[in-house]
Amino acid sequence: MDFGEYEIDPAVYDEMFGSDGAPREHSRSLHEALGRLSDAELAEIQERVSRSFLNEGITFTVYSDETADERIIPIDCIPRILAADEWRRLETGLMQRVLALNHFLADVYSDARAVADGVVPEDLVFDCPHYRREMRGVVPAHGTWVAVCGTDVVRTHDGFSVLEDNLRVPSGVSYMIANRRAVKASLRRVYRQCRVREVAHYGRLLRETLRELAPDGCREPTLALLTPGVANAAFYEHMFLADEIGGELVEGRDLVVRNRVVHMRTTEGLRRVDVIYRRVDDDFLDPLVFRSDSLLGVPGLIEAYRHGSVAIANAPGTGVADDKSVYAYVPDLIRYYLSEDPILANVPTRICRRPADLEYTLDNLDRVVVKRVGESGGYGMLIGPHATPDEREAYARELRANPADFVSQPMLALSCAPCFVDGRPEPRRVDLRPFVLRGRRTRVVPGAFCRVALRRGSLVVNSSQGGGGKDVWVLED
Amino acid sequence: MLARNAEGLYWLGRYIERTSHLCRVLREQMETLVDRPVREINFGWGRLYGALGRRPPGPAIGFGGQDADFTLADSFALADDLTFEPSNPDSVWNCFSAGRENARQMRHRITGEMWTCMNLAYLRFRLQKPRMADIWRTEPETFYADLSRDVDTFMGAAERTMYRDDGWRFLQIGRYTERVQLTAALLLAQLEEVEAAEETSDHDWMSLLRICHGLDAYAHRYGVAVRSEHVLDLLVTDPSLPRSLHSAADAVARELRALAPAPGAVGGAGRLAGRMIETLRGRQPPEAPAAAAGDDRLRLVGAQCRDFHDIVMAEHVQYAVDEPAG
Repeated sequence: MDFGEYEIDPAVYDEMFGSDGAPREHSRSLHEALGRLSDAELAEIQERVSRSFLNEGITFTVYSDETADERIIPIDCIPRILAADEWRRLETGLMQRVLALNHFLADVYSDARAVADGVVPEDLVFDCPHYRREMRGVVPAHGTWVAVCGTDVVRTHDGFSVLEDNLRVPSGVSYMIANRRAVKASLRRVYRQCRVREVAHYGRLLRETLRELAPDGCREPTLALLTPGVANAAFYEHMFLADEIGGELVEGRDLVVRNRVVHMRTTEGLRRVDVIYRRVDDDFLDPLVFRSDSLLGVPGLIEAYRHGSVAIANAPGTGVADDKSVYAYVPDLIRYYLSEDPILANVPTRICRRPADLEYTLDNLDRVVVKRVGESGGYGMLIGPHATPDEREAYARELRANPADFVSQPMLALSCAPCFVDGRPEPRRVDLRPFVLRGRRTRVVPGAFCRVALRRGSLVVNSSQGGGGKDVWVLED
Repeated sequence: MLARNAEGLYWLGRYIERTSHLCRVLREQMETLVDRPVREINFGWGRLYGALGRRPPGPAIGFGGQDADFTLADSFALADDLTFEPSNPDSVWNCFSAGRENARQMRHRITGEMWTCMNLAYLRFRLQKPRMADIWRTEPETFYADLSRDVDTFMGAAERTMYRDDGWRFLQIGRYTERVQLTAALLLAQLEEVEAAEETSDHDWMSLLRICHGLDAYAHRYGVAVRSEHVLDLLVTDPSLPRSLHSAADAVARELRALAPAPGAVGGAGRLAGRMIETLRGRQPPEAPAAAAGDDRLRLVGAQCRDFHDIVMAEHVQYAVDEPAG
């Protein structure tokens, strides 16, 4: 493959090439190996990688009135490489962040010291729709509210920064593993040369993490993964992870609560469940406590949880800590709880509930990205520089009407990485979602799901909006 | 195992068996179309629609026994109706797709080899986007033969790789229950068509034997002369013929016995499986007419089979859970 026409934009950090156009030191082996492949060979590899996803059924289903269309997330066959020292910094930064967020959750569901001490505004916490009063007084094992965290990290010329913490039901980890399996099989020689760290043990670490969260006195806990069902876009991942943790894949209708103990319906009768790795949003977990119209949930689950007979990971109520407004305070929370400086920076965030921040945002709508605090998946966002004047004006009206629903951030020049597009390498913007596990202790697998904005010029990496994925190779020292 | 998984595997077995059955019947019918007289072609369509309990497309065709007149029908339209018609839940493609969807949902409970067989076959057919017009143009029987082979490969992979636990047993119970039901319905439809027909031929019975993989066994046991009572004897009661009703009912009972005890079980499913075998052997259960003729016996087995399904679901899957006191 020839990189001769590959365009390097000096304003954008390229993951493979320095601004002088030469491959970065840690990318040399991959660059050379790719150079030895013809375009036709690489096209074949790309085709093989995509086909392997379809053949293995790593798909999500898009339902319409009459059809159910199974699709794959497009996977680019050129891996993104992270050097050992880059990863080390990321890893320690992520562990620090997850620890602080767990302290924060334990705090806001007990005596709320951080609020009393003025670190976080009271209304931001207690008026947050994701704050669950029902969780007050709950003390999960090891103080772990967030057992699985998927943090979105971006890179610019200034280094890594955290874009978002996903603390409720973060998804994508199966792609980290499936991408690796597919790309490793196709680029096996260079994979071996590069000395890449493995990610396949994620399932084992998740299992250990969940077992550590089991109720007191439970030595051989029965694990279950609670899925919304086959219509959910992440159903493949749910199935995959249930297998990896050696647990049953259950839906709400498989579980019954009797005498404040959760059981699953087996062919031999009811069997107790000790730890639930839930992939169902809070709202749908228990119709007796949250949304009464939920058909996905389990009546009595929260009472059993509060009683301590079952562990739920992530704990209900963790959404208050990944709210887009609370996000802005995470560096302060790290300092407050851990007495340490944050290792990973936040993206500077203006909280529009503050009059000065609102004014700045309105004055700079053509330069900033505005996000709704309650939305995710890239929906409801205004990318100011790419929006039309009419779109900006409509958005400004909404901002003025409900400023507390919005935050704004500067438009980031997300880093790019070479992708094989239309038979040649082209730069596309990327982000990174590593996964942090926390039970009794914290564990991080050296890898991540790298999301790619596959449309030329796009900055939106979400799979729901034309994004794809890439394997991430973390190199050994 | 999780009750919902047991149900999923049971239905996977049923859909796969139904796909295989439909492919064999339609393949036989496609071959009949090549060079057999119109009467035999009509006999085949009548048997097929009668067995499925489905009204053929087109207002001009009657339904059932003497009312049916398939000479008015277009074989292309009938084959399309049974193969690709989206609104027909028992079309070949719908059954295969439903089986594959069950396999997708139960993927963590079947082996990788089974999934690969099933999914690759599904993707291949989906890629081809076959329509009746396409497969009709050359050798339509090839389509059914190919799909039938894919189903056989899937079941072969299951035989070779699946752990013999309750998951396997529910898959088998679904498969053999479906076989009993479909075979009983097919034999019953055969008897009804024969009764309604002014004349019959050896071909009407030989095609039935071919559908049930019994032609070689018949020749081996009875010689070349085709006699209806021998055909029925082989297909209903012979325990050595894998596709006989007796073999299928016996397999249901065997797999059921091996299951872990069900929480709400009072042995109803086991007793009913035993009664099915007794019925097939010609020993009259209390509810059978005093001198049950062949078609009564088949009708009774069909009804027992439907009851059996309900009882298995009630005992092993949808059993009641006591409400907590207070």
